[in-house]
Amino acid sequence: MDRIFEILGELRKAGREVFRVESPVPQPYASVDPGHLRVELAAGAAAHLVVLHTEEGTSALDIDLSEGAQLELTELFLGGTFCETAVRQGARSRCRMTTVLLAGANVVYRIELEGADAENNLGGAFLLGGREHGVVKLHTSHRVSDCRSDSTVKGVAGGEAVGEFSGLVYVARDAQRTDARQQSRNVLLSETARIETMPQLEIYADDVKCSHGATVGQMDSDAILYMRQRGLSESQARRLQIEGFVGDIVRRCGVEPLGEALLELAAEKLEKL
Amino acid sequence: MENNMLSVKNLHATVEGKEILRGIDLEVKAGEVHAIMGPNGSGKSTLASVLAGNEKYTVTEGTVEFLGRDLLSMSIEDRARLGLFLGFQYPVEIPGVTMANFMKLAVNEQRKYRGEEPLTAAEFLRLMKEKSAVVELSSKLTSRAVNEGFSGGEKKKNEIFQMAMLDPKLAILDETDSGLDIDALRIVATGVTKLHTPQNATVVITHYQRLLDYIVPDVVHVLYKGRIIYTGDKTLALKLEKEGYDWLINEYDK
Repeated sequence: MDRIFEILGELRKAGREVFRVESPVPQPYASVDPGHLRVELAAGAAAHLVVLHTEEGTSALDIDLSEGAQLELTELFLGGTFCETAVRQGARSRCRMTTVLLAGANVVYRIELEGADAENNLGGAFLLGGREHGVVKLHTSHRVSDCRSDSTVKGVAGGEAVGEFSGLVYVARDAQRTDARQQSRNVLLSETARIETMPQLEIYADDVKCSHGATVGQMDSDAILYMRQRGLSESQARRLQIEGFVGDIVRRCGVEPLGEALLELAAEKLEKL
Repeated sequence: MENNMLSVKNLHATVEGKEILRGIDLEVKAGEVHAIMGPNGSGKSTLASVLAGNEKYTVTEGTVEFLGRDLLSMSIEDRARLGLFLGFQYPVEIPGVTMANFMKLAVNEQRKYRGEEPLTAAEFLRLMKEKSAVVELSSKLTSRAVNEGFSGGEKKKNEIFQMAMLDPKLAILDETDSGLDIDALRIVATGVTKLHTPQNATVVITHYQRLLDYIVPDVVHVLYKGRIIYTGDKTLALKLEKEGYDWLINEYDK
């Protein structure tokens, strides 16, 4: 945890209320418990933004990407924040989002692809234990033609935790040649944990490529046996397996060395699940 | 009896209430290679699983001593750390966990158990490189997730690679030859032979004589209906290849 604050402390502050980026050279910025924050990327601008949520209260991010803008957004939830993030993307903009819940937060993403050839990529993970209740809602709208969206949200719940995922991909009538993918993959670590997943597609265009899928399963006990036969303890084997499951999401954050620090923090949480 | 490594006496084991092992006696000494053969369903893989500590099986009778310790009272991981290795018939895929990461943990856990310092990153890399050469395992595979997307042959080579990394006292190889083409079989078997020393021992479970052309056993056992019904030298395997098991089974079933 201290390591995360240390890394964020070295980044530029994203400022309060309105954070505007004009530079085409991406610089990393950080924001801790931003409350209501508006993020504007001018045409062709680029930035990395890391947002840390630690509080119980509410938070709202209002993100606007003009033509050709590129944003790498990482959000980490360490408290039960209720957060709504709206992303509007103009033509040829790119937004790559990573969201990691290490607490029972309630997180809503509304992604609006409003300009042709916009691309959104979202990787989410929630790790819940004890009596935590975490929610990830995703609403991706393809308003115009030739946009791409790809979302993968992975959930792990142990103890008596409850996880919820709902994802809707909406494709408007004129949004031809849309390419939209959505995956929800979940693992339960105990008999008493629960995960609900609701992937949905709503398609009004006829020339589209859309796919979605959802799974809820248990950890593979054969893999645990296999690792123990090589000398790992049962808890090491479990931890390695869950790390393997969520590691690609947690590690993908574009600001070095934040990815590894996040994974370390996630691993500490996993020990307790 | 100083060099007695494994001593199995009257071992009985059940799975879901069904008795699979019905009184196994087996002595393996350091420096020896044993082959266990037998028809399908005779209990060969069960024996391997029970020795490794798979909790799916219940031992109902008998004792197993390994390096002077009561093996049956130990956890799976402690058996491994003490030097027992099981080459799986069906190696398991572990998505997202790289071979390098997995092996580093395994090697260092085993070192810790023996009171040794963990390997440095450089020492570990050197060990990986040296041992992957034993089975001609591509260095590309060691940076990939454990067994994920490996071919059948690569999975089996990977078992022997892990055996090389962990340097066990006793390796039990459960049908390591199944599903291998002739080249992969040669590589895997040659690898096992290279790893053999007067200080360690190998138990090879197999259906086919062809593996034993490369890994020459000192002792060959025939397992049938949960018991070792016949023990001979390497010529027994040749005789079984030619004549099948019927002559033994008919005698036993009489």
